[in-house]
Amino acid sequence: MASADKILKALSDSLGKRIIQTRTLQPGKSYIQVQTGAHKDAVRIVLQEDNEAGVSAITGVDLGETIELMYHIRTCDTIITIGAEVPKKDAKIESITDIFPGANFHEREVSDLFGVTFEGHPNPKRLILPEDWPENVFPLRKEVSVANIPSKIGNFGVSKDEKHVSSEERLVNIVLGPQHPALIEPEKFSLRVDGEIVRGVEPRIGYVHRGIEKAAESRTYLQDIYLVERICGICNACHAACFCQTVEAIMGVSVPPRARYLRTIILELNRIHSHMLLLGHAGLEIGYETLFHYMWRDRELIMDIMEALTGNRVIASFITIGGVRRDLKEEDVPKIKAELTKLKERLSFYKNLFESDSTLKMRTRNVGVLSKQDALKLGVVGPVARGSGVNMDVRRDEPYAAYNEIPFNVITYDEGDSWARLMVRLDEVGESVNIIQYALDHLPTGPYRVRVPRTVPTGEAIGRVEAPRGELFYYVKSNGTAYPERVKVRTPTFANILSFVHIAEGGNVADVPASFVSLDPCFSCTDR
Amino acid sequence: MKVKREMAKLSPILREVISQVFKKPATRRYPEVKPKVPAGLRGRQIFDITLCISCGLCARDCPAKAIEMVDVEGKMRPLFHLDRCIFCYQCAESCPRNAIKSSEIFELASTNKSDLVVKPKENSVSGGSQ
Amino acid sequence: MSLDLNFVFRVLVFPGFAFILLFTMFCDWVERKIEARMQNRMGPIYTGPVGVLQPLADFIKLLTKEDIVPFNAKNFVFRFAPIVSFSIFVFSFAFLPIDGASVVSGSNFEGDLILVLTLVSIANFLLFLSGWSSTNPYSAIGATRVLTQLLGYDIPLFILALAPAFLAGSLNIAAIANKQYVPFAFLIPWTFALFIINLQAELEKDPFDVPHAETEIVAGYETEYTGRRLAFLKLAKDVQMVLGAAIAVELFLGGPYGPIFYGLSAVWYTLWFVLKLLIVVVVTEYLTCIFARLRIDQVLVVNWKLLLPLALLSLAVTVGVGLWLNPL
Repeated sequence: MASADKILKALSDSLGKRIIQTRTLQPGKSYIQVQTGAHKDAVRIVLQEDNEAGVSAITGVDLGETIELMYHIRTCDTIITIGAEVPKKDAKIESITDIFPGANFHEREVSDLFGVTFEGHPNPKRLILPEDWPENVFPLRKEVSVANIPSKIGNFGVSKDEKHVSSEERLVNIVLGPQHPALIEPEKFSLRVDGEIVRGVEPRIGYVHRGIEKAAESRTYLQDIYLVERICGICNACHAACFCQTVEAIMGVSVPPRARYLRTIILELNRIHSHMLLLGHAGLEIGYETLFHYMWRDRELIMDIMEALTGNRVIASFITIGGVRRDLKEEDVPKIKAELTKLKERLSFYKNLFESDSTLKMRTRNVGVLSKQDALKLGVVGPVARGSGVNMDVRRDEPYAAYNEIPFNVITYDEGDSWARLMVRLDEVGESVNIIQYALDHLPTGPYRVRVPRTVPTGEAIGRVEAPRGELFYYVKSNGTAYPERVKVRTPTFANILSFVHIAEGGNVADVPASFVSLDPCFSCTDR
Repeated sequence: MKVKREMAKLSPILREVISQVFKKPATRRYPEVKPKVPAGLRGRQIFDITLCISCGLCARDCPAKAIEMVDVEGKMRPLFHLDRCIFCYQCAESCPRNAIKSSEIFELASTNKSDLVVKPKENSVSGGSQ
Repeated sequence: MSLDLNFVFRVLVFPGFAFILLFTMFCDWVERKIEARMQNRMGPIYTGPVGVLQPLADFIKLLTKEDIVPFNAKNFVFRFAPIVSFSIFVFSFAFLPIDGASVVSGSNFEGDLILVLTLVSIANFLLFLSGWSSTNPYSAIGATRVLTQLLGYDIPLFILALAPAFLAGSLNIAAIANKQYVPFAFLIPWTFALFIINLQAELEKDPFDVPHAETEIVAGYETEYTGRRLAFLKLAKDVQMVLGAAIAVELFLGGPYGPIFYGLSAVWYTLWFVLKLLIVVVVTEYLTCIFARLRIDQVLVVNWKLLLPLALLSLAVTVGVGLWLNPL
């Protein structure tokens, strides 16, 4: 088993002089800056030392004359960051997609937003910004102000390289377009179909891009909590929690124990409601409307609990820097426990249903199979990875909030098909109910909040949280003022969406919604 | 054959669907029956002008820029634009005198814009039930 | 030639055109209410008492919407396929006894069972044409799925319809309905169960919902239809459901014939007919609620490997039962 120290030693042994500097971002997280050409070797060495490692995110930071590229690699329960700088005038760097295919979308996003060219990238098209965005305006560079971008240059419809019938004989281009009954949020997937078999998928995301990372730089830290909460409605508490954790790590503030338990409770409530939403939606996609109605009726129990706890059904606004914003009253605890017991009884019905219903299994078994090798190479996270046998969960690998004090199981299934991914989520709902009940029983007394100053000292930190869809990654850099220097968000769906191309190819058109919904795509998260 | 083997075990949905016909529907009959909202619901703001000290922290901290400081009898008081408000209640937290509280009014849809503003009125508590 | 008022009344009002339309809307409402209650929700409640007028309101709403014909579509077929399909479905009602006698008196003849089933197949083929003429990739896929499914369930449908014909000794629907002292559903229940499953496939309901699978191909062959034409297409689908259930009632449940207690026989016969048809509607709706949607290749497996052999088997068993009941 590799350990972080072994990897650091291997890096310094092979790269020697090409390492410029090494520093520690946080306890356990090191940052190694290498010369520009050496980053690929460094990444390759880390991936070879630990075969379950994966590139979690690629961050770009504008440092004035240069752009710093950070490759955050998830390995051995921590993050090792390899950094390389490129000059702004000639921003070119070698792509790492040949050793790690999952970096495809990350590199395209950095090239869209910072203007860095990745040499050797297989598909260097626009990812996040629209087609008619002006050519040399890179929004996340500090000198660019987004207020003066000329809006739409003319009307553009289907782009020129898309025809209905492609030149290769019988392939028809079916566009699972921006508007489609199968998608909750707009994204475009062009399927090249031969009769009923899908031969190729071309995704185009960026329809819901709101520029949140840029907007976060012009708001104070306190206002940013509410901004990042609205990246996604379904997993809003996780975004707030991750951001607050990261800022607290920069400040060196530790949160009181009662607040940690309360954060755990709201995070697990978020997980339950998100998984139930998805399971109902999965029923809708495969034509099983009865399952949809039953699941969403039972989800109302959780929404009522959240309303009593936070004052709102969906957007919690519960977590703040230094703790949580309100307290849980003692007289509310028995009510919450009663509702959770009701939910647990209903869960046994759903478990029975998923394991024995014939048409449901006929639609989801052996559909959209993702092997463990592919899952590791594409860098997928969350239930998508756990459904293919990869045992990763941030709550156990790098415990935050109160997870190091609460016992729970990490659910994995080995089949790798849509059924396995849905079963992982169903079992996780049961685990979450147990976690909340344990937390309610062992809730410590004391303050639920500490007061923190409004300005954050200079520093940078990385925070990770297990959102319902997978590992949520935040990188915050502060420059000593009340406004952050850089907030980087890498959401779990952004890492997972590339696997859709793999699992849809070779299957039926009818399997596309079933396998798609098992990835649990949340496009507001993907595009930010 | 795979299809036949899959159909061997009976799904629990067969009995569940029939039993649901005889139960009360889960639909809440709004607007005839109003829902019971919990205390602490983040509804419309209630502003007590007698506690306000015109510090302006609420307007500064509002993430949605929904609070505007207006002149009422020589002092600056906050005016809440409910169409911009995201009901996060950061204003209530930032206020050093607890002059802003939340109410349980959530039915805020209206056909005229003047209903969507909570104006600071002299010597009174504005917001509340209207 | 003098106009026979009785004939006009029977064809246009009762039990003809107007009755069929109103009854179709009523069955649509029953369907939606039962499906809603099974899913623990309310269904239509606002239009009319208990929401009975909701299908009528939907129909009128669709009539007021804009009617668009895509410029690439094959004009003539696109415009007329829904209307012709609807008329064929309504016309097939002429051979079914609803109030004891068929709609057009004297229209029954030996072999009209085959005619009705053929008309149903032709009308379904017209639905395929309506999707094919839209020249839209979604409609094309939906239309090919309609055709694939049609090939699969049509043959078992004919074979299963022959079973009660054999027991009754004639191919005249009115005669089959008349000869059932005990409804055939109790004599040959396996054939009835298979016929109901086949009916699910013909009516394109779950688990055979695949031709207009919303989450995959938007609306299948209905995608390009708007306004009046969509209203007719939806009405055609609803009439098809009532027709299919009516055929099941006539063949297996004894048609309109039942005990008469007091008064006009026509009223009682109509009442029994409506009651039995509602039972069939509730059973098909129950099957819709408990299944998910199958993929087209799985539908083919169910049709050709499951339904067809079982249909042939049940016909053979029925011949045995028939010979046992009335030895030659």
